[in-house]
Amino acid sequence: MSAPTVTRQEERDPPGPGRFAELNELARTTPGVLTMLTAALVVVGVLVGVFTAISVQSRATALDDLTTRSGPLSVAAQEIYRSLSDADATATSAFLAGGQEPAEQRARYQDDIAQAESALAVAVAAREPADLTAGSPLATLSAKLSVYTGLVETARANNTQGLPVGAAYQREASNLMRTELLPAASELYDTETAQVSADQDRAAGFPFVEVLLGLVALGVLVAAQVYLRRVSNRVFNVGLMVATGAALVSLVWVLVATLGVMANVDQSRESGSEDVDQLAQARIATLAARADETLTLVARGSGAAFEEDYVKVAERLGGDSGQGGLLDAARSGAISGEVSAHVEAAQRAWQDWQVVHGEIRAADGNGDYTGAVELAIGDAEDGAAARFDEVDAGLREAIGLTTFRFTDEVSQASNAVTGTVIGVILLAALMAAGSVAGIWQRLKEYR
Amino acid sequence: MNRRRWAAALLGVVLLVLTGCGAAEPVPPSEVSAEVPLPAGAVELTEPPEAPPAQDCGDPTASLRPGPLPAPTALPAGSTMARIRADGKLIVGVDQNTYRFGFRNPFSGEIEGFDIDMAKAVARAIFGTDKALQLRIVTSQQRIPALKEGTVHMVIRTMSINCERLADVEFSSVYYQAGQRVLVKKDSGITGIEALRDKRVCATDGSTSLRNIADADSGPVPVQVSDWTDCLVMLQQNQVDAVSTDDVILAGLSAQDPFTEVVGKPFYNEPYGMAMPKGQTDFVRFVNGVIQRMRTDGTWVANYNRWLADLLGRAPAPPVAKYRD
Repeated sequence: MSAPTVTRQEERDPPGPGRFAELNELARTTPGVLTMLTAALVVVGVLVGVFTAISVQSRATALDDLTTRSGPLSVAAQEIYRSLSDADATATSAFLAGGQEPAEQRARYQDDIAQAESALAVAVAAREPADLTAGSPLATLSAKLSVYTGLVETARANNTQGLPVGAAYQREASNLMRTELLPAASELYDTETAQVSADQDRAAGFPFVEVLLGLVALGVLVAAQVYLRRVSNRVFNVGLMVATGAALVSLVWVLVATLGVMANVDQSRESGSEDVDQLAQARIATLAARADETLTLVARGSGAAFEEDYVKVAERLGGDSGQGGLLDAARSGAISGEVSAHVEAAQRAWQDWQVVHGEIRAADGNGDYTGAVELAIGDAEDGAAARFDEVDAGLREAIGLTTFRFTDEVSQASNAVTGTVIGVILLAALMAAGSVAGIWQRLKEYR
Repeated sequence: MNRRRWAAALLGVVLLVLTGCGAAEPVPPSEVSAEVPLPAGAVELTEPPEAPPAQDCGDPTASLRPGPLPAPTALPAGSTMARIRADGKLIVGVDQNTYRFGFRNPFSGEIEGFDIDMAKAVARAIFGTDKALQLRIVTSQQRIPALKEGTVHMVIRTMSINCERLADVEFSSVYYQAGQRVLVKKDSGITGIEALRDKRVCATDGSTSLRNIADADSGPVPVQVSDWTDCLVMLQQNQVDAVSTDDVILAGLSAQDPFTEVVGKPFYNEPYGMAMPKGQTDFVRFVNGVIQRMRTDGTWVANYNRWLADLLGRAPAPPVAKYRD
């Protein structure tokens, strides 16, 4: 047993008044230093535990957001765009047909609106009221969708009486859709996909904070043991060794879990969200092409702007003679043979549709308007309507499968961090307890 | 999942204590007012539409005297009509929104009306059948460009003859005499163009009616749209106080909404002519011949009675053609 060492420091400092003086007094004795060391170790243990847990928790929250918020929300936003665009194309083409509105067309329009409203409710519910400022995409969509449906119903009511003003209401509705609702839906989709990407970044960042905190804890513990060894000449202190072990296990645990998360999230990005985005872009372009095709006919000769837009969209979708467009990119990025098969089917249907579209334009140009309308909206198996449905169905299936892969990877990542937070907290508590127990043993010797 | 929730709750408490932040303030719903949708291209004019330089072309309604009308099979070689016949179709720019003049019949999806029957008569004179007639929808604004670009052979679309337009296109003789009046809601108390001070009044872009509104002494605010039915939409949506244009167009709008009425005296004469590309004088003479035949053989009256009698009463005598040579 060694004699108490006289502290070397603070010799020059005159004793200050009050609490500082007491602390100073305490620091002159070994038991005093040991008591302060205990306090320091407990504080370090608690801080390291809390901040590591917060850091891991924020990663877990990001993963939770991916599965329960941004992931589903980007799907909802895509659904809003799709159903609105399809609703408008359907309502407009019902006017093309003339006569009684076909029951299937009406049902399709109603389904689209119901779908859009339900997806919109999901998107709105995920936001804080303060986010819904005037002019934000969600505010625009919420406020104007009902105006749109109102106009469509007015158009129908006039149409059933044989009044041309019905077509004017339909044009006003379509204008509202194309200039306000669809741009808002597209902006919403961009925001939500950006959020997915941001959540992925948040979930997959390298655990700098965790590693740093773990190393600090280990450093402090080693320093404490070196000091104790000097003042007590004992090589090992069981309590502090347990504490060190706990700190080490915590660090390794966090590191392993996080690296697993990073791998899964990277997968979810590369063969999930990015491919879904590509497919979704293709699907949106398909819908735009279909709307352009019908609106060109509705405008009867003054629809050159719609046809120009169709040509642009078609190039974006199919590229130059089927090479290098969105569909090609989606096929080469397909995550599995099954997805690839669906995209290929969509691609084939798209090429067939292009042929029919050429026939429609030719018929319309030659004055065979009725023939053009029949090709465009008739229910023939090789008509444009059927081809459009095939392209849309192929892309829909591909999106479904790819989205599933995304969710799967994210939930695997989620499982990897399960329990880590609790573990980190318990290990931090163990570290603090070990430190207290270890130093208490030494302190007792001074009684 | 539950364990993670618990951890999150615990952390939340720790964080609250550490940072001292409270719960978010509830946000009261902000006050928003309804935004009314507008027809595509609707604009309130702050300045009157560009006035044409005052032109004096004599009597603009005086057209070219027709010669004897050739049979479809005996069109003069090298003439515009022969060329059209060789193309296999007569493309006519028409309206799809003017009830009874050129409108889409919602039951059949076909474009029909007084102007369309006129176009059919011209097609029959060239081809012997109206099957070769191809209708192309043009807005008021597109009428002259369509003729200049050659996307249509002629325009029959409630088009008034005036000196300014004669600089760009040829006109047939007058085939319908209209006058500009005012359409309002029945309870509005508005009695005519003189009662429209500072009121918003709708007309189509590029129409003479729009300029007449801007020029009116009472000082209405002109609002321009693409099609006449857009005007009725805006009137029904309380976005304009009145629509002012040719009585026949107004009658067609009024027929679609029994709560509207046409008021005031005609304050502008609008003689309708069929427009053809500048320089195609052979075609103009030919078309004048077709119109002249309709005036005399009762086709014009039958056409009028078919489309307009229930809006405007039985057919008056057809407008008398004037020729400058």
